[in-house]
Amino acid sequence: MGLRRRLGSLAESAPVAVFPVVGAGARADVARLRLRPEVELVDSPRHADVLLVAGEFVPGEVPGLAQVHDQLAPPRGTVRWGERLDGLDPSTPTIGTQDEVVAAIGSVASGLYRDPSISESPLLPDVDPVDWLGVGPYGHGGTGMTGGTPYGRPMVERAPDRDGLELDQLPVTVGPWIGSLPPGMTIHMKLQGDIIQEAEVLELVAGPYCPDLFTLALSSPQRVEDMELARASHHLVWLGEALRVHGLPALGLRALRLSQKLGPDSARSVRRLIQTVRRSGIFQLALRGVGTLPDSGLDGLGPVSRAHGREDDARLDEPAYRELGFTTITHDGGDAAARWRQRLGEIDQSLDLAGRAGALTAFGAGVVESPRGRIEPEGAQPSSLLKGRLAVWLTGLEWGDAVTTIWSLDLDPITYLPVETGARQ
Amino acid sequence: MIVAVLFWVFSAVAVVTGWLVFRTDSMVRAAYWLMASFVSVGGILILVGSDFLGLILILMMAGEMTIMAIFMVMFMMNPAGLNPMTMVHQHRTAIVSGAGAFLALAAVGLLAEFPDRPVAAGVDATVELGVELLGESMLVFETAGVALLAVMIGSVALVSKNGRYGPADEGSVEPTLEVEES
Amino acid sequence: MEVALSVVAVGLILLVSVYLVDVADTAIGYSVSGMQGGVASWKAPLVTAARLMLRRRTETERPDREAWALAPPLLGGLAAVALTAIPLSAGLDVADIPVGIVLFGAAMIQVMVAVFLHGWGPNSVFPMIGAFRMAAVGLSIGIPFSLVLITTALPAESLSVGVIIESQQDLWNVLRQPLGLPIYLVTALGFSFWGPGQLPDGADLAGGTNVESSGPALLVWRVSRAAVLVAVSAMGTAAFLGGYLGPALPGWLWMVAKTAAVALVLIWTGHRIARVRVEGTVRLGWLVLLPLALVDVFVSGALTL
Repeated sequence: MGLRRRLGSLAESAPVAVFPVVGAGARADVARLRLRPEVELVDSPRHADVLLVAGEFVPGEVPGLAQVHDQLAPPRGTVRWGERLDGLDPSTPTIGTQDEVVAAIGSVASGLYRDPSISESPLLPDVDPVDWLGVGPYGHGGTGMTGGTPYGRPMVERAPDRDGLELDQLPVTVGPWIGSLPPGMTIHMKLQGDIIQEAEVLELVAGPYCPDLFTLALSSPQRVEDMELARASHHLVWLGEALRVHGLPALGLRALRLSQKLGPDSARSVRRLIQTVRRSGIFQLALRGVGTLPDSGLDGLGPVSRAHGREDDARLDEPAYRELGFTTITHDGGDAAARWRQRLGEIDQSLDLAGRAGALTAFGAGVVESPRGRIEPEGAQPSSLLKGRLAVWLTGLEWGDAVTTIWSLDLDPITYLPVETGARQ
Repeated sequence: MIVAVLFWVFSAVAVVTGWLVFRTDSMVRAAYWLMASFVSVGGILILVGSDFLGLILILMMAGEMTIMAIFMVMFMMNPAGLNPMTMVHQHRTAIVSGAGAFLALAAVGLLAEFPDRPVAAGVDATVELGVELLGESMLVFETAGVALLAVMIGSVALVSKNGRYGPADEGSVEPTLEVEES
Repeated sequence: MEVALSVVAVGLILLVSVYLVDVADTAIGYSVSGMQGGVASWKAPLVTAARLMLRRRTETERPDREAWALAPPLLGGLAAVALTAIPLSAGLDVADIPVGIVLFGAAMIQVMVAVFLHGWGPNSVFPMIGAFRMAAVGLSIGIPFSLVLITTALPAESLSVGVIIESQQDLWNVLRQPLGLPIYLVTALGFSFWGPGQLPDGADLAGGTNVESSGPALLVWRVSRAAVLVAVSAMGTAAFLGGYLGPALPGWLWMVAKTAAVALVLIWTGHRIARVRVEGTVRLGWLVLLPLALVDVFVSGALTL
């Protein structure tokens, strides 16, 4: 027992591995949790000590949550960031600041290190999803050369691949919470190797939309400086998450750190970061020529549309922006590289605008240009305009390129419910 | 003493893993059991003093068996090779040919007269091998090498989609030799 | 007795260098992200290891248990075998065999097998994709990797790593064969799946072959991966940078310093260069690196004659 205790006391000063399950309205907060040295957000539940359930959920999502919970290797614990959630039983729901959540995570983890027997038990029964039907010690005693249906599932169908060979399709579901996809996105797909032959993209149905500066601007004019800083901050959070997926987590942290304390005077450090990103070779090695979108139906998608060479921006019609001499930046190509260049350019532009805006205000009625594109009162979120079409664009891509495409679109794969139906019991 | 022990260990591993190739239920495992068997043979080669041949065998088999596993997985009606399947087919033919091959090899081992020419100490087996490959046997090996290269280029040309007479999937047909009368 | 001693020595050297690799990785990560690291990086490997030791391993549906359990120690063992071929200073190596560089090459190619089995084992999608990615990468860059290494044997007229180092008394191979080291470093990133070569365990696969691993198995896998990085750095030093050769200081110190420098370059690259696409890697291997490696062989061969 001596060794065990010594390991436990050593482990207490290690960053706690946390797997985040993100519902409505918690994404940026969870992303910024990466900046805390006390926690380490991990991409797979298997690597985590503590499950962090953040944001709003509808009751129907709780079974999915339980499945993720059981995938954590024991000893495991749960921390809820938000109000109490029925069906999930974390010891204490935390409602509050990042500091309080980090403290809660720390205390759950050190409790587990000290006494592993307090580990939470599985929420679901541990049974195979389908009965084992294999015959004999090696399971290949069924019918046919390939052993019939040992997993109790039918053999997959075959389909021609891109070289004209008839190969198997493997049906796979990924999501809604896995480190390589934006939180909330589920992809049902048929894979041939790592090529997506057929895809269906689902969004997480979660609680009500938390109003931000841009939704407020739909009804009352907002200060240009605030909005442009919020826009730059949004793009920096996106950059932080996307860089991590492309294998540059430390650089991503720098972007997240800048997003947190952004002012017009941070222009220099932001420009240095953008320079470093350009020098990382990411455009040549990972983005160029990947995820080129068709030219139609991109209206109102903000940076995605502008990366197609269109001057599609609601700010052009605002007197305040005209006074500042605002012109849209555009890029040609419409591939992932163009969308990245577009957003990097817009971060710089927003900081410049914010620095010069003074007391100018803009919007207040009609349409507003949010970081993801145009929003209207009673309208859907811009990224949900991509829903349905994304599946078509992903078809035929390698998994790595599909992930590149998804992140380059800056999606928020959550269907927000109006306050009444999304309310908790 | 150690060499003798190692020899018997490698031999046993080579035989047992070779047997396991047919007792397992997965193509990938079969491929890597076969690799384990070859690695043991490589160990025996190192024990008898041909370090280079032994290591090259181990090096090559890693690549070969991976390629073999990938191709088997690709061409089997079996999702990613993940479903179990039997590795033994056509039992009668397999038994007859297996027993025949074993008897023939055993006969060679027992009846043939092996030369007994101990190599002088200090002879570098790798140097000898190089001299042999690029000396007296050069013609044989180079001929075989060029022939293999030609086969590889030929097979790539055969499976390529764009043939001499157009893309294969559009039903390319060789033009007739008859001269069109005008 | 001597054998046991060298096995222990290699193990100790590997453990210490893996510790240092992790410290350097954490410290460089802190400096790139612009956060304050300080003492944290010195303690990081120890406390993280303790945390992983306390966790149990997970089960998946019908895994290939043997392959899954065997792969992490196999990877570490291969790194150790590769390291035995490299002398720390004149005459001080574990496996003083005349074909040391082939031993190293064989161990590195087997790394591909270890990673493949690690991804194959858990019977899960992302690990499986990671496994096949490693096969694609390994087969594409394996030939240029071996070719540039073998080319260093030409001026030495020997496959022994010791003789190759001695042959660089007048001129290091990095200058004599200018194509060698760049190609070696690029392919070494692929074989140690580090930074831009982090395809089998990439973040787009949420950790690839180790998505399903937890606890001690995950710890061994991470240690082994760092050990492979140490092995390729040491061989890069021996084959191209004159190994233990150098003025004034004792040979082993030169060897350690140069290996550390190569490892730091690779670790730094991991934080500053983005991950390559699979297709890009395959193209790079067959269309760029292989022809360049052949040029390297022919030019160096002609110069040696």
